[in-house]
Amino acid sequence: MTLADFLREELDLTGTHLGCEQGVCGACTVHVDGRTARSCILLAVHVDGAEVTTIEGIAGDGPLTAVQQGLWEKHGMQCGFCTSGFVMTITELLALHPEPTEEEILDALGGNLCRCTGYTKIVEAVHEAARLASGARSEGRAA
Amino acid sequence: MSARVGTAKLVGQAVKRREDPRLLRGGGRYVADIKLPGLLHAAVLRSQVAFARIAKLDVERARSDRRARLVLTAAELPEGTAPLPCIDVMPDTKPAHQPVLARDIVRYVGEPIAIVVAESRHDAEDLLERIAVEYDELEPVMDPERAMEPDAPLLHEGLGSNVINTLSQSVGDVAQAFAQAAHVYSERIRVQRYHAMPMETRGVVADWDEGAGRLILFSSTQFPHILKSLLSGVLGLPEHRLRVVAPDVGGGFGVKCEFYPEEVVVPLASMRLKRPVKWIEDRYEHFVSASHAREQIHDMEVAVDADGIIVGLRDQITTNNGAYLHTLAITPTSIASAILPGPYRIANYSAVGTSVLTNKVPLAVYRGAGHPQAVFAMERMMDLIAADLGIDPAELRQRNFIQPDELPFDRGTEIVLAGKVVYDSGDYPECLRRALDLIGYSDARREQARAREEGRYIGIGIGCYVEETAIGPYESATVRIEPSGHLLVYTGSSPHGQGHVTAFSQICADEFGVGLDDVTVIHGDTDLVRHGVGTFASRSGPIGGSAVRQAAAIVREKCLKLASHLLEVSTEDLELADGQVSVIGAPGRLLSLAELAAKAAPPNPLPEGLTHDLEATEHFEVPGIAFAYATHVAVVEVDVETGMVTPLRYGVVHDSGTLINPLIVDGQVQGGVVQGLGGTLLEELVYDDSGQPLNASFLDYLIPAIGNVPRIEVAHMETPTPLNPTGMKGAGEGGAVGSPAALVNAVEDALRGLGVKIRSTPVSPEALLSLINEARAAR
Repeated sequence: MTLADFLREELDLTGTHLGCEQGVCGACTVHVDGRTARSCILLAVHVDGAEVTTIEGIAGDGPLTAVQQGLWEKHGMQCGFCTSGFVMTITELLALHPEPTEEEILDALGGNLCRCTGYTKIVEAVHEAARLASGARSEGRAA
Repeated sequence: MSARVGTAKLVGQAVKRREDPRLLRGGGRYVADIKLPGLLHAAVLRSQVAFARIAKLDVERARSDRRARLVLTAAELPEGTAPLPCIDVMPDTKPAHQPVLARDIVRYVGEPIAIVVAESRHDAEDLLERIAVEYDELEPVMDPERAMEPDAPLLHEGLGSNVINTLSQSVGDVAQAFAQAAHVYSERIRVQRYHAMPMETRGVVADWDEGAGRLILFSSTQFPHILKSLLSGVLGLPEHRLRVVAPDVGGGFGVKCEFYPEEVVVPLASMRLKRPVKWIEDRYEHFVSASHAREQIHDMEVAVDADGIIVGLRDQITTNNGAYLHTLAITPTSIASAILPGPYRIANYSAVGTSVLTNKVPLAVYRGAGHPQAVFAMERMMDLIAADLGIDPAELRQRNFIQPDELPFDRGTEIVLAGKVVYDSGDYPECLRRALDLIGYSDARREQARAREEGRYIGIGIGCYVEETAIGPYESATVRIEPSGHLLVYTGSSPHGQGHVTAFSQICADEFGVGLDDVTVIHGDTDLVRHGVGTFASRSGPIGGSAVRQAAAIVREKCLKLASHLLEVSTEDLELADGQVSVIGAPGRLLSLAELAAKAAPPNPLPEGLTHDLEATEHFEVPGIAFAYATHVAVVEVDVETGMVTPLRYGVVHDSGTLINPLIVDGQVQGGVVQGLGGTLLEELVYDDSGQPLNASFLDYLIPAIGNVPRIEVAHMETPTPLNPTGMKGAGEGGAVGSPAALVNAVEDALRGLGVKIRSTPVSPEALLSLINEARAAR
């Protein structure tokens, strides 16, 4: 059983979506031990003992994260089907590069396909998320 | 009740979407996410050959397997199960309808032959392998021109021909125009077969309730009400025993405003088993069974006077419709034939459009539906003419534009289902001027010249178009005020990413002076929304929105009338603002919407002329087509060694009338542009001569990724339409309409002087290198 099927069918975590089941589109992206992975081409047994985070775990019951807020502010989503995957990938990107360049963004997101937005607003959303996250960090430091 | 800050209207503001927080948290509920007790899973056996008689279909090894709950073939379908209908038939359309399951003959790779139901999808797929099919293969025909030859294989014996429809448009005196022309240009322009390819594939969950004698069908669809109606017809089940629900839908773009075989057989399976049955399409299936799009040839002739004014236009359009008529089969040919002359005056025009069957997946509508092909053809001709006559391409267009004071302008053509083409309002010359400003045209030309000196090839391309939007026949809305004061809006529109919930909340909230959170928009469920048409053809903003506005206006009147009765004051002395009705000049005397709604509920006595509940339903009917329009400008760089095209910059000046939410409209335009870019540079559904699809996966069919696209700048003009109370036109498709033209014009412009003429898409690196090398050899 793939990790994606395990999450969706056994754990009822349906926020992770299946766009191709071939590892191309990135809609199924989750975090395994803090790094992005394509759950549609991972077998569930492969993550035995690992920590897996899905879209549901990004904000949990709390407020939307900076990444989610950025996508919301900038209209970086339309039908929402690819969105979970983008949130996971952008979250990893900003953890590694808090102030990513345009090139770093295009490089990191090259494996997440979107058919609705045309990507312009997703790129804007990443910059906004970076801005929000850095603002929150400053506030945190000031507190 | 949330307080309104000031009296600022929400309509026109770039408010962020109400849909998003739930989706961002992974709370979307797409059809694949639906789980019901006792759910079974289906898999579909599909033809592996393009054209064959089914010599043997033996399902016994599957059916007798203990894992099988049901196996259905055509032989087991109920007597009287009709074939799939086509809803845009014209008088000449031949009945090449697809059976729900293939009986004796298969006509395309991917055609459904049988359905297997088991406890899991894995089991169902395993059971497919236990079905034995023997094909007596027939010679397939893949090319529409070959299909029209007298000795071509016949897709449907009884029809005598592979031509399933011929239509024509005729305006003025084309023969005379051509006879008197200074120059005549003729070209064959080809658009390839490609695909809407939403990120979510199709899927259905059918749940037959034996006790109630009712079926609930969840489907990833764009038009639940039409689906219900069509399903009722095919199953012979009255509509009141059907409920169709569109859950969250992950993109549609036209491929989901189609009525598919799976939407019949999965319900039949559920009815047979008396258990819910789910079928989710996988990506391979989507490639070989969800409607294909675009494939069309334009044999154009343009007659031009000495100043480049087009005096006559002729077009022979040939559309490869695949193996059957799908739901909206004729529309791409009809639209292309009707709007080809675009924003140009062209007094003399004729076109013939032929829809032809071949052994490919049936073709239907995809974002633009005929516009992209026609605009590509016309705009290519404009640039070819401009180059030949030595006129700047923008200048040539300006010379030919219909001027704003000539609108409304009767094109003299008609579109099936939609009606007469009469351009309602707009300013095409101004739009082009602004688009050139947006991109910095003069600077771009200088940059182009500098780059050439450095041996780099940069090009600028323009695409101008006029586009049918906001088609009828109507859209419905019900607005109701709850006793809590909350506003409910029921709409027949069926969004799949376009933000209707937000847009319609803005419209409704403005009518009552309340906040967005005081409105709930309900859609997609035929039990909750009695009548509806759906979301396609760029209609929901203008038509759905107009219905909401009109229904809300009637409810406003009811509020005033009831308040007048309760406050014993004439309605002239009342105003409704900020969620309450108050007496003008007497600030303490007021009634909130909640109080009014409570007083309007049964069994409260009401004055003459008012019925219970503050509710109204409107079916906004469309008096005529509203025509959005735009100018796209692309700047690209071409690598002549590799044939790679890199889009550098892209700008659109877009006029879809009054805007409800500019943020949403920008998103629609940008998304459309990138789909058009995909279809221009990257995407093609390739078949071999035996009818096998060669690239039915994302590994080989490349849709644009983030690195393939430039930033897309969008600026708006807002010329309202007189055709609806909001002044809105549709905005959902235009991005895909202008982009192939602008991009290819830019590529050819980059290679100006090398003798390269591009007449077809996709402009893949191989195709472009081929053209470049041919041109080199010819010099």
